[in-house]
Amino acid sequence: MTRLSGGLIDRSRSLSFTFDGKSYTGHAGDTLASALLANGVRLMGRSFKYHRPRGVFSAGSEEPNALVELRSGARQEPNTRATVAELFDGLDARSQNRIGSLSFDLMAVNDLFSPFLTAGFYYKTFMWPRAFWEKLYEPAIRRAAGLGSLTHRPDPDGYDAGYLHCDLLVIGGGAAGLAAALTAARTGARVILADEDFRLGGRLLAESNPLEMPAPEWIAGIEAEFASLPNLRVMRRTTVWGAFDHGIYGAVERVSDHLAEPGKRVRQTLWRITARRAILASGATERHIPFANNDRPGIMLAGALRAYANRWAVSPAQRVAIFTSNDDGHRTALDLAAKGVEIAAVIDARTDILSQGSYRTIAGAQVTGSRGRLGLRRIQVTQGGTSEWLDCGALGIAGGWNPNLHLASHHRGRPQWNEAAQAFLAQEGFVPGLTIAGAAAGQGSTARALASGAEAARAALEALGITAGLPDLPQAEDASLNQYPLWHVPGQDRAWVDFQNDVTVKDIKLAHQENMRPVEHLKRWTTLGMATDQGKTSNVTALAVMAELTGQSINQTGTTIFRPPYTPVSLSVLGGGDTGPHFRPRRLTPTHDWATSQGAIFVEVGQWMRAQYFPRVGETHWRQTVDREVLSTRKGVGICDVTTLGKIDVQGGDAGEFLDRVYANAMKSLKVGMVRYGLMLREDGFAWDDGTCARLAETHYVVTTTTANAGTIYRHMEFCRQCLWPELDVQLISTTDAWAQLSVAGPNARKLLERVVDGFDLSNETFPFMACANLTICGGLRARLFRISFSGELAYEIAVPARYGNALMARLIEKGADLGATPYGTEALGVMRIEKGHAAGNELNGQTTAQMLGMGRMVSTKKDSIGAVMSRRDGMVAERRVLVGLQPVDPTDPVVAGSHLFTKGAVQDTANDQGWITSACFSPHVGSAIGLGYLENGAERMGEVITAANPLQKQSVMLRVVSAHFVDPEGVRLRA
Amino acid sequence: MPDLQPTCALGAPKPKTARFGVLTVTENANLALASVALRRDAGAPDLPLPGPGEWIEAEDIAVFWIGPDQWMVEGHGRAADDFAHAIAHRALGCSVTEQTDGFAAFEITSDAGAEPIRALLEKLVNVEAHCFTAGQATRTGFHHMSVFVIRRADDRLAVLGMRSAAGTIWHALTETAGRLEVTA
Amino acid sequence: MLIPHPLLGPRDSSEFSYLGDASLMDRPDGMAPDAAERFHDYVHLRDNPAGIHRELWFHEQGDRSWLVVTRNTVTHEILGAELARDARKGGAA
Repeated sequence: MTRLSGGLIDRSRSLSFTFDGKSYTGHAGDTLASALLANGVRLMGRSFKYHRPRGVFSAGSEEPNALVELRSGARQEPNTRATVAELFDGLDARSQNRIGSLSFDLMAVNDLFSPFLTAGFYYKTFMWPRAFWEKLYEPAIRRAAGLGSLTHRPDPDGYDAGYLHCDLLVIGGGAAGLAAALTAARTGARVILADEDFRLGGRLLAESNPLEMPAPEWIAGIEAEFASLPNLRVMRRTTVWGAFDHGIYGAVERVSDHLAEPGKRVRQTLWRITARRAILASGATERHIPFANNDRPGIMLAGALRAYANRWAVSPAQRVAIFTSNDDGHRTALDLAAKGVEIAAVIDARTDILSQGSYRTIAGAQVTGSRGRLGLRRIQVTQGGTSEWLDCGALGIAGGWNPNLHLASHHRGRPQWNEAAQAFLAQEGFVPGLTIAGAAAGQGSTARALASGAEAARAALEALGITAGLPDLPQAEDASLNQYPLWHVPGQDRAWVDFQNDVTVKDIKLAHQENMRPVEHLKRWTTLGMATDQGKTSNVTALAVMAELTGQSINQTGTTIFRPPYTPVSLSVLGGGDTGPHFRPRRLTPTHDWATSQGAIFVEVGQWMRAQYFPRVGETHWRQTVDREVLSTRKGVGICDVTTLGKIDVQGGDAGEFLDRVYANAMKSLKVGMVRYGLMLREDGFAWDDGTCARLAETHYVVTTTTANAGTIYRHMEFCRQCLWPELDVQLISTTDAWAQLSVAGPNARKLLERVVDGFDLSNETFPFMACANLTICGGLRARLFRISFSGELAYEIAVPARYGNALMARLIEKGADLGATPYGTEALGVMRIEKGHAAGNELNGQTTAQMLGMGRMVSTKKDSIGAVMSRRDGMVAERRVLVGLQPVDPTDPVVAGSHLFTKGAVQDTANDQGWITSACFSPHVGSAIGLGYLENGAERMGEVITAANPLQKQSVMLRVVSAHFVDPEGVRLRA
Repeated sequence: MPDLQPTCALGAPKPKTARFGVLTVTENANLALASVALRRDAGAPDLPLPGPGEWIEAEDIAVFWIGPDQWMVEGHGRAADDFAHAIAHRALGCSVTEQTDGFAAFEITSDAGAEPIRALLEKLVNVEAHCFTAGQATRTGFHHMSVFVIRRADDRLAVLGMRSAAGTIWHALTETAGRLEVTA
Repeated sequence: MLIPHPLLGPRDSSEFSYLGDASLMDRPDGMAPDAAERFHDYVHLRDNPAGIHRELWFHEQGDRSWLVVTRNTVTHEILGAELARDARKGGAA
């Protein structure tokens, strides 16, 4: 096929591309579809279920058939509509959903089995025979269905996101959208005009003479004015795909989809547009008229045929027929004839229709069949009971136009059938702040589209208090459609309604027979409209057929619910480009670089990267390292970065009273210069979080939270402050990142710290266990010192401004070389806290009470605090499980967290369950594995041998119940 | 002066800087910060107290609003000082908290006026970029975190986020600025 | 959604975290004789209306204000927002 004359392609720029390995040439301005048609390629794909040969059906984003894979390697992209793929030099496209070649697809055998693949077949296979499902049906269906294929390789391109705000968002850059944007932008209001095409103009580009002057000329003038208006942002290649609450719209800008490779650019940008008002000028989609075997390549929408001829200067065939139920079909015939395409006939379902050109017009007739295995060769026309076959290579179908109401219906608005317009129309107010203009509002002629766009903009701005004058708009065609309602041509053979999912009129009849009549049932039973095109060319037709079957009106039948996205949106762009290490914020501790220099192994703890352990040369297993770190700490001194614990600064005249109400135990009575362990409950009485509370001054406390709960506890404390007790004089602010905090633990801890403090008296008398102070170290650096212990050893936590953390760590290790100073990571930290019987996240899992933790008496009855009342509920008080230590009778036996506890010899079932192991580790101090766990009446069972069952690993181990404090139960060391 | 060597938030001894066309992103390692919150019966502090969403530069300090009755005071070039202590003297009876190392600060300057800053803002945070003019400051979401964004001037923007996530913030800022350079 | 922050103007709801029914502000007195009964209701019984609802939102990525937002849960129309602190002090909660 050669090109027609005219068109909006740049013939001076040739672009070469391949399709299924064969090389072709197109021009700048082509889509892949128009370029393929220009090269005589009509067959572009295979259908979903029956693998029927398919060609291009439309000229826009509604395309159901011409889905291809673009690019190769990691950039391979399935299910791309050839009709919107902008041609670029080197484009590599392939057909999909076939085994073998496109013209000889082995899967076409499915077409012979079509009686078994009718509506609901998928659901029916669920039912019978059951045994076939997993082994036969599912794998077979999965392999055969699905269109394109994924690469399974990481996307090499970048994506990003952005935020735009405007007074008016105009969605669609056709006649109505251009008029709206022009009207609005001239007022100086902030306007965004977004259009999915790479060229502004919409249908204006597809018509031969919609305006008094050539349309491209008028558009060029408008674009020149647009360029001079800094308050207007024109976004080409941008699809507004969803209308969300309060004027928020989702849009994807295809920044470099039209380039072979994006280079340093992003591939696509996800925009979140917040618009005070919006105008939907998304145009309309033509509908077809199902008839027998209406899915052959060459059969397409008449408006698309016209668009290909006028915009892209191409016709799919030299001899073309038109099947229409309105005046618009004749327009296509006239335009094609004017370009030298032979019109075989215009078949008009209406009677009393006169020919508008020097070609045959058959009035009161219908197309009732077609021939041509891989492309249309002839059609059968039936008029008044007699049929004839007409030769033609393409057939344009003009069944009327459906306004594109999707975005207007994203808030579940149900469009209403308008008899005069023969179309569903959205009601104003479906999406607050959104008005509809142009063909999307049923104002389909160019003149009405222009006028309604300008008026919609004027009215939208008026609502914002901005006065806009209406622009001078060109004279434009104002033809009526004179639509005759013809929804399908009756017949015995299959007549396709939804091409992409292979749903036929027969399937709708079957759904009707099987009582799947409401549209939402019809949709799911037949899969109508559930393909990647979301039924843009099929839904209305299908429900009109269903209306005919049920005898209800189309309006009573109604539409299915419209949901975002309007057209497919890639997951990559929704992800916004944050992948790999940038998937989420990565927080580093102040000593991260030092730890890295020491060869530390890191572990993710929420967003934090913490040093897990510090292997030394010769250590071949992590356990060796951890055991060494534990023993060195207990023998000499160990240092660990504990900065990740949440720190909240609590100040104010009522700070003590506030903390009294937030913590289960008393805090107001805490002396200045002292620290107290604090337990927080949830309001339902369960234990929530623990930490320390240090009183630095009369009206100044610093509290710590667990690493995991830093954010939630801060939020909760603000809730308490603002929502419960705003009368209290208390101020909160998080200071987690401000201070590097290092734990210095072990018998040599004091000796080591004495070497860095500036003359501060660390003796037990002046700075006893649970003391805290402000001081300076290393020659004047302000620091905070807390004498607290998580390991059970003589221990301190020292805090300095975060920027000094790295240097302080190095300094302590250096100064403590002769004291055995050893860095330890989270593993050793965990081992030592289990050895000491300190509760952590495993014990505070949201299902445990203060009583279970052995802290029941900490919940003060003398004051009200969060959770106190509910912690005294009957069920909570009756709880008999308490935290105990567990040690294997045979020291070589493992102790596994999650194991359940049973009385020795008892049947191991839920009825006899006595508790569970919360934490376990190998204890180098004890010399065997140890565990902590909640055990029924645990406090009274010291010394008893029980069974720990781990059925997952088929283990059953004898454990002795011991004190949870494996190390220094009397607490002598930490008070030393 | 303590005999310990401080580290910048990005981990190096010296602050990082990177240039992308007309935009320069620089780590501001010398910014001192202290938060000030009014107590119930506190007198008026000797500090300018801007309203919600505002940032004011005074002689030796700058102040921005961070919440009801709560402000952040900036001291340029004073990170080594006990800045909170100094501010406490000017805000007697207020709750003052040292915040210098709570945040990593990044200063972004444009050689081509306001436009590149506006374009950058659109890609960084969900604020109305056209209205976010000199003297405005806000805290908002940023790559699953929150940051303070301060428009210090038409051609200057500051982004302050939690110090521990300095690397993530730097990556997001430089990647975005780099992409703007390509499309500029 | 956009939350009309009383101090900062409309802000995207993604900056907020949601707690729920504003009746959570009416915490009973834990020292009262009937505290057990009243806390049972406070913790467990809340309305979940399809329609107008007063609810608590925390401006977590913003100024850390707790807001009482009055919202129609069916249409998402927001009828008003105030600082929880003010709502509490005004006795409106």
